[in-house]
Amino acid sequence: MSLLTLSNVSVRYGRLTAVREVTFSLAEGEILFITGPNGAGKSSLLRAIAGVTPPSGGRIDFADHDITGRAPEDIARLGLSMVPEGRDVFGSLTIEENLMVGTGMHAKERGWKTRAATELEAVYATFPILKDRRHSQAGLLSGGQQQMLVIGRALMTNPRLVAIDEPSLGLAPNITDQVYERLIALRAMRKLTLLIVEQSSTRAMLVGGRMMLMRGGEIVLDGDARALGQSEALQAAYFGYGEH
Amino acid sequence: MMSPSVARRTFATPVLLGLLLIAFALVAVAVGSKPFNQTIIDIFLKVIFVVGLWVFVGNSGVISFGHIAFACLGGYVAAWTTIKPMMKGMSMPGLPDWLMQTEIPYWGSAIVAAGWAALWALIFGSVLMRLSGIAASIATFAMLAMVNSIYSNWESVTAATSSVVGIPIIRSIWPYLIAALISVFAAWAYGISRHGLALRAARDEPTAAAASGIDIPRARLIAFVISGAIMGMGGALYSHSIGIVTPDTYYLGLTFITLSMLVVGGMGSLSGAVLGVLILSTLIQTLRWLEAGVQVGETTFALPGGVQEIALGVVMILILMFRPAGIMGNKDLSLPQWAALETKGSQGPKNLKT
Amino acid sequence: MGSLLQVVFDALSLGSLYALGALGIALIFGVMRLVNFAHGDVIAACVFALLWPSVDAVAIIFAGNLPWYLLIPFVLAIGAALSVASEVVVFRRFRRANPATMMIASFALGFVIRYFLLMLFSSRPKSISLLPSLSQPVEILGARIPLLQLITIAVTMAVLFGLTAFLRRTRFGLEMRAAAENFTMARMLGVRANRVIMGAFALSGALAAAIALILGSQTGTANIMMGASVMLMAFIATVIGGMGSLAGAVLAGFLLGTIATVMQVILPPDARAFRDAFVYGAVILVLIFRPQGLLSARGTKERV
Repeated sequence: MSLLTLSNVSVRYGRLTAVREVTFSLAEGEILFITGPNGAGKSSLLRAIAGVTPPSGGRIDFADHDITGRAPEDIARLGLSMVPEGRDVFGSLTIEENLMVGTGMHAKERGWKTRAATELEAVYATFPILKDRRHSQAGLLSGGQQQMLVIGRALMTNPRLVAIDEPSLGLAPNITDQVYERLIALRAMRKLTLLIVEQSSTRAMLVGGRMMLMRGGEIVLDGDARALGQSEALQAAYFGYGEH
Repeated sequence: MMSPSVARRTFATPVLLGLLLIAFALVAVAVGSKPFNQTIIDIFLKVIFVVGLWVFVGNSGVISFGHIAFACLGGYVAAWTTIKPMMKGMSMPGLPDWLMQTEIPYWGSAIVAAGWAALWALIFGSVLMRLSGIAASIATFAMLAMVNSIYSNWESVTAATSSVVGIPIIRSIWPYLIAALISVFAAWAYGISRHGLALRAARDEPTAAAASGIDIPRARLIAFVISGAIMGMGGALYSHSIGIVTPDTYYLGLTFITLSMLVVGGMGSLSGAVLGVLILSTLIQTLRWLEAGVQVGETTFALPGGVQEIALGVVMILILMFRPAGIMGNKDLSLPQWAALETKGSQGPKNLKT
Repeated sequence: MGSLLQVVFDALSLGSLYALGALGIALIFGVMRLVNFAHGDVIAACVFALLWPSVDAVAIIFAGNLPWYLLIPFVLAIGAALSVASEVVVFRRFRRANPATMMIASFALGFVIRYFLLMLFSSRPKSISLLPSLSQPVEILGARIPLLQLITIAVTMAVLFGLTAFLRRTRFGLEMRAAAENFTMARMLGVRANRVIMGAFALSGALAAAIALILGSQTGTANIMMGASVMLMAFIATVIGGMGSLAGAVLAGFLLGTIATVMQVILPPDARAFRDAFVYGAVILVLIFRPQGLLSARGTKERV
């Protein structure tokens, strides 16, 4: 069952084309890595999916709704949560306040308060370090803690699909290991679908799952991460061997 | 200071603008009526003000609400230096003796006014230019209010809120045309100089500009002073066009009009500034005429007073909404390709991908 | 002792007005990076909304005759409505514009409102009688303080506490704070952009209405330039308080009120008329030493 479908999606900034007619589908429960060199259009693609930058062409469907060009808050309410790159915590708010921002969407539903409390406890269970410092200002956390915070924050919206842009950026490898560990555990627990952009394909190959390689705004490879990692196709695609 | 090839390439702009202004002057000569003359003089004065405003606002990207304060300074310099000493003594007894005795021709007062305004631009600017864009804009508003407050209260030197009369009235359009032409060329020269270039770089990419060694506050200050000087000159001439000066002439109303002209024409280019004046002046004149009443058969249709400003405000908002770069859209008037003054070789690579 | 107390209350009540004005600006600036130059004209419009359009010198009161417990909510509602209307009709189209463009647009809107009032009411100030019972003086420790001053200070304190509680303890307040810090990120978490912005404008408009009520009672006149002098100080307060900081705006408002009142007292009588110029001069001095404002501003620095 396809949860997310992109059909010929393009993203242009003025005369610069960042994403060129990309088409793919993501099934529920899948884990998909999008890797590729700098400037390949990965972040732009994610931003188009999340509604931050409306696509200049094509169509995006999520859970049977057409979300092309819709407002980010509407897309979030449908169950698609994006964690942009750079660990954008709300620095002047506390950890707990950061986490609670996303719960407003369901505020009209009955039993919302208890559900939000349960969600909160679940996030704290996954990231205990956040619970210890729940009333500190988010701006004071370390990089790894902030990364966990932004992931936890996205989870509080009760999403079906979480899209994360460069979770390992600027983090030490062992911290990244921890973050991924939690992420994978969460996926199993809550049947999350994960769409992760990573510049390095190594992580994808370590974790396993599906991997797509983007270059110049297009998808040039799509397959099982481990299988691709062992073939030459990956190197060729990265470096453009055999092409003009 | 400015590269000769850039000068050659862009020279068409001030020349074309100048010809446009001369055309307006000739129309006035043809019509030959005093009120129409006054209207054209008013247009030339607005050109001076808006071009002066452009020198700073257009190149720095910082909105200034306070430039009319420099016009106020200039306007009173005209009063201080050109009114007959006896009359001066009656309305402004507090002036120092040497100033009291001074009586210079109007073009002298314009020059002194430019210098006086430039001095104060330097003083205020050295503080204000270190502020961030929005904070600087608010600070210029405060500067306007400050000048207005001082000039409205310092009775012995400015006659406070009473009008100061006796300023020699210059009714010929030629001095105003010349001053407008001077402003246009000065603004153009600044724009293509390396100071202008540095400031525009800072406007577009402050971080990259600073990293390239541009001292942003200093670049802004230079523009602020030059634009202040132009405003000062304009203020003095404004006094000479109507013969009197009061502080409230140089306050919110004039600020609003000059800013709208700049916005509607396009903040990004000198041509935008000039065209904004010409276009909006036409609109204002039409509205003024309609407010005075139009005879249609037996009845007189007249728009209620205040419609001018409302219409101006609405036009400004609409332009900002739909064409924020203004009518000229950051482009300058220039000669069409076939009349360009360059030789073939300097066209640059033809196969650049756009 | 009595006159010292008088000066203190003068400073506090003037500072309160400035603080309320600055708060109205800072709220909107926080979520939208818009400096709303039309705010002063919204203040004037709130007072004129109580009168029938006329050019007479004595106003024909329309709603101004309501008893205070109906009048006050009425004016607050008018302020909020006017402010939200300006958002929906004008500022909404500028969401993606740069701050400078929005600022000029608000300047133009202010002029439109002002000249619209001029058309309906003429530029002559009208005398009105708004909550006249508030001008009685109250004796405290030998000083005669107008009741209105005490009420102004009390109202401002109440507003400050209320607003703080609202922002820190309610869901909507949390969303506004998050949006003020990073608007796009907040939207990605489901925060509705329109609601937050309209909320900020409604609050701002209600604050404008409060200022209108105070000024109207204080001066007994309705004048289209009423809001202008308070708002000029309020804008300056937001700058020296640090753009984007609510606490800074309030602090700076009280600071300016104190400076202005102290100047009024210590300046020789000849120089009193220049009081405002001195205050602006003092502001410039503050800016020389701290161009970024008293409290550091968040979110106004560009990320490289």
